[in-house]
Amino acid sequence: MPEPSATELKEASDEKPSTTTQQSQEKRTGRSPGQVAWSRLKQDKVAIICFVVIVFFILLAIFAPLVVSLQATDPITKTKATVDAVHTELVDFNGLPEQGSSSAHWLGIEPRLGRDLFARFAYGARPSLVIGFVAAAVSTIIGVTLGLLAGYLGGVVDKVISWVIDFFLSLPILIVIVAVVPLFQKSIQGDGNLSAEETSNLRFWVLIVVLFVLGWMGLARLVRGEVKSLREREFVQAARAIGVPTRGILFREVLPNLVGPIIVSASIAVPAYITYEATLSYLGVGLVEPTASWGRTIADAQTLFATYPLWLWPSVIGLSLLVLSLSLLGDSIRDAFDPTSRR
Amino acid sequence: MLTYLLRRLALALSVILATLVSTFLLFFAGPGDPAQAMCPESRCTPERLAQISRSLGLDKPLVTQFTDYFQGLIVGRDFVYAGDTVHCGAPCLGFSFVTRQSVNDELFSRFPNTVVLALMAAVIFVTVGVTSGIFAATRRGTPTDRIVVGVSQVMGAIPYYVLALLTALYPVVLWGLLPQYAPLSSGVGPYFVGMVAPALILGLVTSSQYTRYTRNSMLDTLSMDYIRTARSKGITERTVLFKHGFRAAMSPIATILGLDMAALLTGTLITEQIFGVDGIGRRTITAFRALDLPVIMGSVLIGATVVVVMNLLVDIAYSFIDPRVRLS
Repeated sequence: MPEPSATELKEASDEKPSTTTQQSQEKRTGRSPGQVAWSRLKQDKVAIICFVVIVFFILLAIFAPLVVSLQATDPITKTKATVDAVHTELVDFNGLPEQGSSSAHWLGIEPRLGRDLFARFAYGARPSLVIGFVAAAVSTIIGVTLGLLAGYLGGVVDKVISWVIDFFLSLPILIVIVAVVPLFQKSIQGDGNLSAEETSNLRFWVLIVVLFVLGWMGLARLVRGEVKSLREREFVQAARAIGVPTRGILFREVLPNLVGPIIVSASIAVPAYITYEATLSYLGVGLVEPTASWGRTIADAQTLFATYPLWLWPSVIGLSLLVLSLSLLGDSIRDAFDPTSRR
Repeated sequence: MLTYLLRRLALALSVILATLVSTFLLFFAGPGDPAQAMCPESRCTPERLAQISRSLGLDKPLVTQFTDYFQGLIVGRDFVYAGDTVHCGAPCLGFSFVTRQSVNDELFSRFPNTVVLALMAAVIFVTVGVTSGIFAATRRGTPTDRIVVGVSQVMGAIPYYVLALLTALYPVVLWGLLPQYAPLSSGVGPYFVGMVAPALILGLVTSSQYTRYTRNSMLDTLSMDYIRTARSKGITERTVLFKHGFRAAMSPIATILGLDMAALLTGTLITEQIFGVDGIGRRTITAFRALDLPVIMGSVLIGATVVVVMNLLVDIAYSFIDPRVRLS
């Protein structure tokens, strides 16, 4: 059910002005769109559950070392499990682990390398979250800036930016990402031989850059359209007439009117980037060893999915649950900002 | 109208040209050395490397390489391989570094597989999406509506490749409920039956968007005055829904479908890779692993052209339907 809009509330309170509930609702008519959205969001049960799940994964990622150290000491290796300690003594000659889930290894042991799967799972939340949030933040900034410039300045600037948007939008995005990541990495890396860890770190940042470079267009187009119509509105013309500088008009007058669409777009972008990262890792151009990543684990584990499902499923569930929560929260945020939403 | 068409056409051409130039610079002038990739490490002398570079035409100046490539695209060009001259007709995308086959053959022979997959998926997502969208819209606010919307939201929100992978692993490989992909050479029957699993998962996941588009569009239409008029005239609910409501609600869906088909023709990469469908996307991934530049270039170019042409067609079709578009 849509919440009553401000005008509906006013009409309702005109009819029955005496009751106290109507009076308190009338007070709320002066709220900003952000406040209205926030109060709607707080009443959305799905949004709250999603928020809790997301916070759980963020805490898991931040406190991964601590959580992993809660596992018992392994009786065979006589050490506590860490994220990249390789213990080939824990797997048999086929590379299959000799034990399943235990107090020392909550989610068992990785076949072949004998690494602790719970540690891989907990640390695996890190790249997903960092890539999702950083790429979404940067692409939002780029999209808003270019959209503002194109929409407000018009003329040649608008033509150029619009063309660039059209150009990027017509690229087959997935093919281009798959093509660009290895080349981009090679051009930074040069001929220098990097250790596995340095390569892995480099790949992580290359991924973020490629994702936001190819991900800003949708928002830029949206902002451009909005700004084009806003700049003709009276309050912007009034600001211009009293001599407010362009920067002031853009950031004080125009931008606050775009907070809704920007937040909505950013909240939808985060799960999209996380999905991209996992998909790319699956296709073999995402994160590389030794970085723990859910997408990588899924790609590796599919070879033994029938004999050792414990390897595959935690990452599948973790990734699906995180992306699902972020997307549903994004949907809720969009509905909360949308006065005509029909739920 | 003519100016609009010309302007739109010029824009489309400029985008394709820019894709051509930028991918060329990126890949051919980029850091990857395909000669190195083709040279077995144990027996790779500098002379052998230079020889491979020469035979691939990689030793020529970049501008020459580009004009050769461009000429091949427009009028075709001749290749000299081991003394033989091979003519490659326009639009010539060159020869694969690895298989030595013409890129046109490599890609266009696989394109039908991608098209079949995309079309089968499209049939599924349009039927499922539109039906469930109308179903939900006519039961707005009821538990049925909430379940349909909820299922579509959840299905659209889980990473697609995870759903596709689980489908490929469990029902297809482990339980054998659905047959695996078989090439066309093994018979028409097995080929289409093998396409069912990938098309089904691609179609069902995509249908979740169409459920929501259709539901929203239908709700918009059903709240129009003319629908109320139709109802007040005493027309049956069925006629109101399908004759008056459905037709009007479908025009935005048709636009989105046009754009989505373009995206699908280049976006079945994941599905093809997971289910082993020998389409253009899977060939591209193989090409990346081998740094097979002409094949990569070819698939990026074909992909961009498909998207640009589909966008153009949708825009032009739209400008006929809605004259306001032309003026903006």
